[in-house]
Amino acid sequence: MFAVEELSAAYGPVKALDGVTFTASRGQVTGVLGANGAGKTTLLRTVSGLVRSTHGTVRLDGKDITRTPTEKLTSYGLSHVPEGRGVIAELTVVENLRLGGLHRATASEPMPIERIFELFPRLGERRDATAHQLSGGERQMLVIGRALMARPTVLLLDEPSLGLAPRVVAQIFDLLRGLVQSEELTVVLVEQNARSALSIADHGVVLNLGKVVASAPAAELAADEQLRHAYLGF
Amino acid sequence: MQQFLDTTLGGLVLGAVYAAFALALCLIWRSTRIVNFAQAAMAMVTTYIALSLLNADVPYWLAFLAALAAGFGLGALIERVIIRPVEGKAELNAVILTLGLFMVLNGLTAITFGVQHRGFPAPVGTNAIEVGDTSIGITPFGILTIVVVALVMAGLVVLFRFTDLGLRMRAAAFNGEVSRLLGVRVGRMLTLGWALAAAVGAVAGMLIAGGDLVNPAFMDPFVIYGFIAAVLGGLDSPLGSVIGGLILGLSLSYVTGYVGEHLAPLVALGILMVVLLVRPSGLFAAAAARRV
Amino acid sequence: MERLRSLLGRLVRPVTSVPLARHLVVALIAFVVAMAVIGASSQYLQTRYAEMAYFAIAAGGLTLLTGLSGQLSLGHGALMAVGAYAATLVLDRTGGETLADVFLALLTAIAVCALVGVVVGVPAARLHGPYIAGATLTLAVAVPRLANQWHVLGGEQGLQVPVPRAAELPAWIQDLVWFFTAVEIDQYSFLAYLGWLLLAITFVALANLSRSRVGRRWRAVRDDDVSAELAGIHLGRARVVAFTVSAMAAGLAGGLMAMNVRLTAPGAFTITLSLTLLAAVVLGGLGSLTGALLGAGVLAFLPQLATDLGESAGLSATQAAEVTPVVYGLVLMLVILLAPAGIVGSLRSFLARSYLGQTKEKTT
Repeated sequence: MFAVEELSAAYGPVKALDGVTFTASRGQVTGVLGANGAGKTTLLRTVSGLVRSTHGTVRLDGKDITRTPTEKLTSYGLSHVPEGRGVIAELTVVENLRLGGLHRATASEPMPIERIFELFPRLGERRDATAHQLSGGERQMLVIGRALMARPTVLLLDEPSLGLAPRVVAQIFDLLRGLVQSEELTVVLVEQNARSALSIADHGVVLNLGKVVASAPAAELAADEQLRHAYLGF
Repeated sequence: MQQFLDTTLGGLVLGAVYAAFALALCLIWRSTRIVNFAQAAMAMVTTYIALSLLNADVPYWLAFLAALAAGFGLGALIERVIIRPVEGKAELNAVILTLGLFMVLNGLTAITFGVQHRGFPAPVGTNAIEVGDTSIGITPFGILTIVVVALVMAGLVVLFRFTDLGLRMRAAAFNGEVSRLLGVRVGRMLTLGWALAAAVGAVAGMLIAGGDLVNPAFMDPFVIYGFIAAVLGGLDSPLGSVIGGLILGLSLSYVTGYVGEHLAPLVALGILMVVLLVRPSGLFAAAAARRV
Repeated sequence: MERLRSLLGRLVRPVTSVPLARHLVVALIAFVVAMAVIGASSQYLQTRYAEMAYFAIAAGGLTLLTGLSGQLSLGHGALMAVGAYAATLVLDRTGGETLADVFLALLTAIAVCALVGVVVGVPAARLHGPYIAGATLTLAVAVPRLANQWHVLGGEQGLQVPVPRAAELPAWIQDLVWFFTAVEIDQYSFLAYLGWLLLAITFVALANLSRSRVGRRWRAVRDDDVSAELAGIHLGRARVVAFTVSAMAAGLAGGLMAMNVRLTAPGAFTITLSLTLLAAVVLGGLGSLTGALLGAGVLAFLPQLATDLGESAGLSATQAAEVTPVVYGLVLMLVILLAPAGIVGSLRSFLARSYLGQTKEKTT
């Protein structure tokens, strides 16, 4: 179980997060939605420790990880796929994946690279290509695969659909859905594309100007026209 | 013909040392995006440490290892304490900082050891090899130099291509933030990069000093020649550093042999300017963009 | 009281509001003060003041180049060498006996360095950061070595520099000096007065440039070259102009240095000279002429202090001489790590902040 409580963060005098509280459950996808600048990416970066929180806590299965250094989080089972995908462009596909597996969750079994290639056959075909040469969709698969190499229990994804064709997005989201169920992952999915996100999310949290304005089962959010128009753009 | 052969061989030996030195600069550039203008002074310091040991009758190869270890430690200390505050800041700051460090290291060594020239022993002969009647323009120490540099390069290739540590170091250099998210202790990798580079620089210092005279300024030419060799090959490219070093070594050897030793730096400047104006990222510039 | 104040204001404001007038007044006052101080000083101090003057000229040019135009140059020692050799050759040719010879030599030095400045500045304009640093550093090493190669430049021993004798200077100068300082002009004070006169003129010129359109263009190119180009500023041209101006200053400084040291040899123009100039401008604050003057003061007076300190700590003479470069290196490191804006820059921020603090208190 992944719990964020009263989390606040600021960039200088500007409050980027203001008392954000929500939980994400095992085997479920929790979508974090909202317009540009709502604080979604800041939320993930604060959880990961790249941004220092000014207030509040983050708990992973009861353990307080608010002040845990960024580098230790994968050993606790938390993997963050950042905005912009974050492939290491100069390394090959295999090297990116190997890198992901170097700091896996403590006491977990190593993930064989071949397993990732089973999940993403396209990556297997391009195993020795440098990440720079991959298409957007392939890169997204690579970074998800890389995150999985660390055997996470919690997966944070920042705008995976950005810049990808709808068909590719659907493909990736299907895969994600499958993984969540088979691996019992806790997924926190940050998306500006709320419609796609709500299609695979179980629960949704809507942010506006750093604050939570709605937190409800996905189906409810999708049905709430007023909310959708006000915060989600559709 | 004889002169050409001798000059070429001399150029290769010199080029090998420039290659090693340029590799050190390349390592530091790749990990912290800084050109370490103090690298030459650091190599000079480690060589003096070895000299002190040698004067105390420590065997040559032990002193050599000590120089490596001293370089490793010095590089790590300098990165962690002095360089860390300016990493990621305006590039002017790092340039000025390393230049200041260069002056401090040179001056402190001169104060401690004096400015006079001292002889430095070599583990093997430093006379031209004789084959029958003719003498080939290379010495056993020159051959040793080339072998040692080749071993260093091979070691670095193995480290970076085939080990997990090398993978971590490359990742940390290419994309620090993403690497942190993947669990890499980026700070430690940067320190390690400097430590390794300083150790390689220490090797270069020992190879230059062997069988010759040293004084606190003996590595000073490397400040510019090492830089030029690295830029020639491409600061980002280890292979480029090696090729750049060899090209520069040969060029300088020919200029010194056929034109005049005082024109060598001018020729080097010419080479540098041609590279910077025609192909600024070096001969072996990587085609891939740095970040997408 | 109020009427007196407003009257004074009406008199002073035309001077203080026009930059050129302001600079001229400051320079004049500074020069008069300098003359008084030099006139009352010992021979040793007069030599130091003369040294301070030409270091300040070189530093002034360098600080504008690095601070305003954003181009780091580690080759100004080489440019000083060019100026020194140019001036020396002219003085040698003309005999170096009259004031006219001196001015011809210095003008030649400036002109030659202007040319060199353009030649070096054009490729340098395309470089930045460590690249321009490395290239200019190579220049600093390469240029003095040319003197070793070509015997017309005196080789390793260098060339002697003939300088007019103070007793043979025009009578009106001797009288003027006696009138202002009550002391007869001699060899040492002559060089000091000359240095400070040229320093005052140079700084007025540099200060005006800094405030003018040219200076604004430099700042624009330094701060955001993309926007500057979009605004119609020719990047290369602006940078080359800056480089050339600073080279001319270095040339003048080199010429003066030749006259002061009386010997122009390659050994005087090591990497250390260029790095020393850098230390002066970094300490003073990049972009600030006042800072350059401060830094030059350090360059002139520190070496003796440091050497004395070293000797009293038990070092030998040659060892004590190495204390000075250690200090310069430490200056470079400490300033960058602790106060990158240098003395003048940090002072300005401090004053600005406390002024803001005061106004804040007034409004709340």
